[in-house]
Amino acid sequence: MYKAVIIGGSAGSFQVITRLLNSLPPNFPLPVLLSLHRLKHIRSGFVEALSIKSSIPVIEPYDKDQIKAGKAYLAPANYHMFIELGNRIALSTEGPVNHSRPSIDLSFITAAQVYREKLIGIILSGANKDGAFGIKKIKDYGGIVIVQDPAECQVKTMTEAALKLTKADYVMKTDEIIKFLQNLKI
Amino acid sequence: MISRYEIGIVETRNVIKALLDTYDYDFRDYALTSLKRRLEDVITNNGLKDSEVLINRLQDNKVFFEQFLKDITPETTEMFRDPSLWRHLREDLILDVVKNTSKPKVWVAAFDSGEELFSLCILLKEMCLLDQFQIYASIFSDETLKKIQQGRIDVKQLEINEANYDRSNCISKYSEYHHIAPATGSLTLDTKLIKDVTFIKQNTLYNNAPGGIRLALFRNQIIYYNQILQDKTLNSIHNSLVAGGYLILGTKETLENTNANNKFTVINETEKIYKKKTG
Repeated sequence: MYKAVIIGGSAGSFQVITRLLNSLPPNFPLPVLLSLHRLKHIRSGFVEALSIKSSIPVIEPYDKDQIKAGKAYLAPANYHMFIELGNRIALSTEGPVNHSRPSIDLSFITAAQVYREKLIGIILSGANKDGAFGIKKIKDYGGIVIVQDPAECQVKTMTEAALKLTKADYVMKTDEIIKFLQNLKI
Repeated sequence: MISRYEIGIVETRNVIKALLDTYDYDFRDYALTSLKRRLEDVITNNGLKDSEVLINRLQDNKVFFEQFLKDITPETTEMFRDPSLWRHLREDLILDVVKNTSKPKVWVAAFDSGEELFSLCILLKEMCLLDQFQIYASIFSDETLKKIQQGRIDVKQLEINEANYDRSNCISKYSEYHHIAPATGSLTLDTKLIKDVTFIKQNTLYNNAPGGIRLALFRNQIIYYNQILQDKTLNSIHNSLVAGGYLILGTKETLENTNANNKFTVINETEKIYKKKTG
């Protein structure tokens, strides 16, 4: 039924992501795409930090890598991460969008175009509006949209911007998102 | 971003066909997602109704086409993108390239907006080696060439460029190399840096490529290609390089997904430096 989960986050999302990755079953049946704001000039360390507690492998993909189920793909520093037809990663050094590279919007939009109604999009805590338009696109293409409950977010600008633009399928706290993903029937 | 035009795959193919038929510029094997996105930018930013209007405008208006070529080229870089690479070039690779060769040829094999070229020239100048190299730079559009020759670089990037410069262990101050016009705030780089550069007009990197190259900077280009174009271009660059010549890719690009993989040895995995095998 679904083909991928894509998650966007910025300030205040690291612990949430860590908990999500930690709680996924090791045989999670979908790829997890992570578009997270990060320091652009620090290339190493982030994927290692996310890997420590993750129950599935976390990879910083190379351009045109094939996307596989049961793995998490983290957008590399200073690149946009697109989803390309043929289920591959495509990277880009085009200018920042919403002051961000990687831009969550661009990852979300391209994923929505490829996976259409078979995509689950999740937006988490963050301090700017990147991702809000992407969430709308996922919804427009018929995908499922989950917004972290702004009341729980360390910084709620991002989730509120998303909710302003789109009627989310679910507004959930971290625990509920975890349960949703654990019980996912694909 | 809300009122952005969204282009379909069939429409994209129609634009590609028009460009090929009218101007012999071949976009058929570009990576679709990013090409679509840049086409959408062109359509949206020019206030065009749809891709059909774009095609008509391209066919009828050479000036618009030249501007289009500039806009469709990803503005790839910042100055000294990936400072650790530039440190490595300064401390190691450049010295190796210049050793035992008089006037080694370096090729900035990238359709970029000039940052990569200027970074290289600044690096070589600081090493007192600028006049010891023959530098080639690929040019896709006349508009971009004009911009580079006037040293015009995006002023919004100044902070990033300065930080990258410092992280690259450069020995002077970044501000030595540019001038900001007090009236307009526009920034120009010192064009003396590029006065001996040979610009090569190319509509693809594999046509009209230079030969005898010791070092090719080919960073963050194949990300915009599909596999066919990746193989074709890498094959051509391989032919351009002398045996033992170096190829540098972007940090998240790899030869592993290409046909060129067995023709090069990995010299530095982190900075994606490859050496052409001999024989």
